[in-house]
Amino acid sequence: MENKKIVVADDEIHIVQVVAMKLRNNGFDVITAQNGAEAYELCINEKPDLLITDYQMPLMTGIDLIKKIRTVQELAALPVIVLTARGFAIEEDLQEKLNITKFLSKPFSPKELLAHVEHSIGQTAGK
Amino acid sequence: MLKKIHIFITGFAGICAGLIVLLFTDGLNNIELVGIACCAGGAVWLLRYFYTESKTLIGRLDILERDYKLQREKIMQAVMEAKDYKLQAQLLKRQKHNTEAIIYSINDAVIVTDINDRLLLANAQAGEILGFDANNSVLKLLEDLVSDSDIVNLIKKSRQGKIRDVRHELEFETKEGPRIYECIISCIFDENAQICGAVSVLHDITREREISQMKNEFVSHVSHELKTPLASITAYAEMLVDGEASDEKTRKEFYSIIQTQAQRLNRLIEDILNVSRIESGLVKLNKEPISAMLLVRDAVQMIKSYAAEKQIEVEEKTAIVFDQVLGDKDMISQVIINLLSNAVKYTPENGRITVDGEVDESEQVVRIKVTDTGVGIPAEEIEHLFNKFYRVKANNKYAKGTGLGLNLVKQIIEKLHGGRVFVTSSVGKGSCFGFELPLMAQKVTV
Repeated sequence: MENKKIVVADDEIHIVQVVAMKLRNNGFDVITAQNGAEAYELCINEKPDLLITDYQMPLMTGIDLIKKIRTVQELAALPVIVLTARGFAIEEDLQEKLNITKFLSKPFSPKELLAHVEHSIGQTAGK
Repeated sequence: MLKKIHIFITGFAGICAGLIVLLFTDGLNNIELVGIACCAGGAVWLLRYFYTESKTLIGRLDILERDYKLQREKIMQAVMEAKDYKLQAQLLKRQKHNTEAIIYSINDAVIVTDINDRLLLANAQAGEILGFDANNSVLKLLEDLVSDSDIVNLIKKSRQGKIRDVRHELEFETKEGPRIYECIISCIFDENAQICGAVSVLHDITREREISQMKNEFVSHVSHELKTPLASITAYAEMLVDGEASDEKTRKEFYSIIQTQAQRLNRLIEDILNVSRIESGLVKLNKEPISAMLLVRDAVQMIKSYAAEKQIEVEEKTAIVFDQVLGDKDMISQVIINLLSNAVKYTPENGRITVDGEVDESEQVVRIKVTDTGVGIPAEEIEHLFNKFYRVKANNKYAKGTGLGLNLVKQIIEKLHGGRVFVTSSVGKGSCFGFELPLMAQKVTV
């Protein structure tokens, strides 16, 4: 069975690296991006099974990225996990409106993130 | 009265009769005695008349005098009262002038309206905000003077509802653009607790709103800035604990990341604390002879690994003749690191940062300049750059930040060390941030 493909986008290179390593160690294919625009291109070209994105990123924020991919028919139902270090609560209706699977606050546990990834994609990746 | 006339006539008749008897008699005989008696009786009756008349007259005079005194008292009282009214009128006039002077001198807009919502008094500020001539609008209907229906309706509603004190937030378009006002409407009641008008005060709260917004953004930024390195520390520590780093090289890399992220966290906390300490005057300076050039060299070494992440080259051009300035080593280091880390943040990958240091003998200053090939700053934003919490909106997308770093640079250089900060920038080409510190007399050559 082919590995599930995940796009990870965060302008913090260390976060991207640690998330990618955790997911790769658990059998996922990971493609990384450091801004929203780059992540959008990857989503269009790679058709991933899941998107993990930071909330606040240069060039295009995570929310703008999600809004944009929701306009693409093939990506309209793509599961999305948002990582956020924001000080205030996320607007309640935003999660429902943009069909965001999970908001995860920073600092986060890579283990916890992995559990959410496995839950979102629907099955545990084969190692 | 009749009695008095009777006495007078009787007395007069007695005297006349006595005199006639005496005139027509000769020698002292009984008839002459009768005449004398008649004269005496008449005289007594006349005296009696004059006596009663004089008593009446005295009584009348007394009454007249009493009346006169009474009238005089009344007149005096009236005069006093008139004087009192005049004084009161003067006092009222003065009080009115004072009240008007107070109202006119208040920075807030003040509008006083009567029971029919006609204008009684308004200061110039009210006229300016609401767009009417405050001097020539007395007794005109407010709705005819003010085009903004919100405030007119609010005053009307407050008056009709007899609400003693009510607050609203209103926005008005002024010459300076849209401004937010807190509008406090208080009803005026007379001595019978009947409503007789309303006083409305408009207080400009635009700045307060901006500060509040800035504070909220600051809390959000600080939280974001603190959580970001913390997220790396937590995640890498967990990976190490869970044995996800399989080889020694990876483990070392993880330790190094945790260390640099902890340092980043500490720098941010120091920035926040230092701004707070400097502002409250609680900062403790440890001034000693230091060399800004040497501090630049140390800072450049420290920033190189951060710059390498974006393939940014950092070049240092400091003079051989080292300066000596009297300064707090940690604080000046922090200034240089802040300028360098800003340059890295806002310079795209494969850019270049040059750090120049020169001793200006003629100006007796040491000058440090950090020049980058970054995104640059729009000209209209340059004057605000060193304001606390200020962030260049157009450049928000390139990097995160609290808006404290440059404020701290300015405070440390100018407020604590008597130096000067400067900046030049060109959008799309890059920026040059720098500072000057006064030289100490002595110089050291190495």
